Amino acid sequence: MVFSSISFLFFFLTLLFLSYFLVPKKYRNNVLLIFSLIFYYMGEKWYVFLLLLSCLVNYIIGLLLQKKRKKLYLIIGLVFDVGLLFYFKYTNFFLETFNNIFNFNLPMLKIILPLGISFFTFQNLSYLIDVYRKSVLPEKSFLRYATYITLFPQLVAGPIVRYQDVALELETRQESFELFSVGVKRFVIGLAKKVLIADTIYHVYTNILGFNMSALSYILVAICFTLQIYYDFSGYSDMAIGLGKMFGFNFKENFNYPLIASSITDFWRRWHISLSSFFKDYVYIPLGGNKCSKLLNIRNIFIVWALTGFWHGASWNFIMWGIYFFVFLILEKFTLKKYLKKNFIAYIYTFIIVVISFVIFSITDLNELFSFLKGMMGIGVPLYNKEVLYLLKNNLVILVIAFLGISPFLKNKINSLKKGKLEKVIEGGEIIFILGIFILVVASIVSSSFNPFIYFRF
Amino acid sequence: MKEKIVSIGFVGIIFTFGFLSLVLKDKDISLVERRKLASVGTLKEDFNENLDKYLTDQFPLRDTFLTLNSAFNRYFLNNKDYNGVYLKDDYIFERLYPLDNKSINNFTNKINYIKEKYLKNNDCYYMIIPDKSYFLDSNKYLTIDYDYLYSYLDENINFSRIDIKNELKLDDYYKTDIHLKQKAYFKVIDKLSDYFKFNNKDISYTEKVYSDFKGASFYKVPFSKPEELIYLTNEILENVRVKHLEYKDNYVYKEDAFNSSDAYNVFLSGPSSLIEIINDNAYTDKELIIFRDSFGSSIAPLLVPFYKKITLVDLRYINMNLVNNYITFNNQDVLFLYSTLIVNNSFILKIN
Repeated sequence: MVFSSISFLFFFLTLLFLSYFLVPKKYRNNVLLIFSLIFYYMGEKWYVFLLLLSCLVNYIIGLLLQKKRKKLYLIIGLVFDVGLLFYFKYTNFFLETFNNIFNFNLPMLKIILPLGISFFTFQNLSYLIDVYRKSVLPEKSFLRYATYITLFPQLVAGPIVRYQDVALELETRQESFELFSVGVKRFVIGLAKKVLIADTIYHVYTNILGFNMSALSYILVAICFTLQIYYDFSGYSDMAIGLGKMFGFNFKENFNYPLIASSITDFWRRWHISLSSFFKDYVYIPLGGNKCSKLLNIRNIFIVWALTGFWHGASWNFIMWGIYFFVFLILEKFTLKKYLKKNFIAYIYTFIIVVISFVIFSITDLNELFSFLKGMMGIGVPLYNKEVLYLLKNNLVILVIAFLGISPFLKNKINSLKKGKLEKVIEGGEIIFILGIFILVVASIVSSSFNPFIYFRF
Repeated sequence: MKEKIVSIGFVGIIFTFGFLSLVLKDKDISLVERRKLASVGTLKEDFNENLDKYLTDQFPLRDTFLTLNSAFNRYFLNNKDYNGVYLKDDYIFERLYPLDNKSINNFTNKINYIKEKYLKNNDCYYMIIPDKSYFLDSNKYLTIDYDYLYSYLDENINFSRIDIKNELKLDDYYKTDIHLKQKAYFKVIDKLSDYFKFNNKDISYTEKVYSDFKGASFYKVPFSKPEELIYLTNEILENVRVKHLEYKDNYVYKEDAFNSSDAYNVFLSGPSSLIEIINDNAYTDKELIIFRDSFGSSIAPLLVPFYKKITLVDLRYINMNLVNNYITFNNQDVLFLYSTLIVNNSFILKIN
């Protein structure tokens, strides 16, 4: 089930609101758990039992981590979680690589990737490590633990919510009209980012790819990849945060205008924050972080970025994508840093590096990828053609809106107007805007049968 | 207060439409999209897979939402080919782009094959009617290179083309449909009479008008206006016999079509693989075979006075191998009448 579907918006949410707010507070987690399992079952059917098994094993190990031989239990837990992820996500990748290297013909396994396995595995891992480090007490109630892991807003596409961030809210939380309203606004904005911007930009670049290509076509497609992935994924995070607020949870932010970052280092402080902080806290720092020799520090950074790439998908292009960022992060750390101040050149440099990264990210076939990169450089194609000029002109409005939305300019402008004499007008306009946008989103969903979320792959 | 309005507004919308979805009766077809809508029965096949298809198809005020979305994209986002159509001066143009060289090559090969295999002794011509985009400014819209298309056909098809494109004007076409108005075919018939050598004497017709015509492109642009569909009849047409291969129907003009999703089906009852129109009162014994697409449906009635028998073959619905079982090719006049839309999508023609 996806958020931008009629079944979710008009049936799942309706029934959930009725059930959740009508039952006494002490049963509300149970309601969330049941609905989260239904949500997962609607997309993944019987993998819901795999999800529950994963919750149960990690819950038990969490309790065992308070006893003696806790290192052994931690290792068992890590092996179970990483093993599960490895089996479902990476087995065929390694079989294929093995076959290619040694010229074998081992058959591929028929494995279907369970949605969100990368996200819920990382949540389980962070929980076990935090309990082991005693930065959080283990959860005593299985129902509460299962509610935390399966919580539908963040179950299939993040953000990666840490147990310590919601432990208190799982036990006692205060729902309110105010928080609900903030949640509605955030959810609707996220829906609009996904449905009205990301999906429209998807159509722009599929249109371009259907025609004769030029260098400008390739560049425009690359920019569209970047904008689509940003609006799709940050839209999903907004929806997750918004839904969380409706039920009294406060998830941490996952994006902070990453496309206006002034360096790649800055970009990764703003993009998929919950993932980069996971790798920082559970991989980079335990490896020694930067409190070691330069060479070991470079090794640590390499491991983190190879893993970051590999987390995104079982394919060489994702590993290349991670290593690509490793190269720029190292360059920035040791040489470029002093030149990258917050100026126009720094923004342009970052944007170009990021756009190229999302080409590597989007094209899994390596031959196709290199041919695309050559196309971007104008090798073997004209600089521009009439098709791309037409499509650029025809889609100018959505592209301008998408570019305006990558910075906080509009948001800040509205907030400053709210503080002035126009406060009432702006607030009234905001209500009309939010409900109007929601109606437009519904119109778009009704009009379109295409709606997959990109980040479900990971 | 503001918080309450946003919260109640949002919950109110989802509760109201959720409730209406449950209580409103399901619709069978969508006139807007000209297709059957998903029914509750599809849920029995695969509930999870089909649930959203069903709910989206049966959503309350679906057509209004489709219009709203179309208006948002066309007028706010300024996407001038939204839904694959351009709009200019109330005319809706289906976008035909890019030119598909494989399709054009396939078209020429298939036409040559039919001519060589079946029509060695027949007087054969072909005519390609340009789609409406032919009249658009190619600097402002993406349009195919029509000059290249026609010259490619001329060079590669082994018999002559009857050129009609220069005789036609934009107002010969319906505004909301891809087809030519029936009256525009008088220009075509003038041309045909020269090539097939029939006496194009003046025949009088009575005009019948259907004033609520919504063509195939009507719903692709929001706030389109219905237009007139004029069809021409007379005593000769009222006395011909019409035979369809697949079904029994004897209409030259089937007026029931005005109550259906496609009023253009008034002409010879719409899509049909093989139709014979027999005119026992014809002043000649000549026969005509037209290999055609839907453009052929409205010209055929106007050719009836000049032929004893007209056979219409639509190779989108019948394979050429089978046609041979129903038609004995001898010395009939033969016309291949297609639009550029088919030439650029010729793989739908069933010719082995």
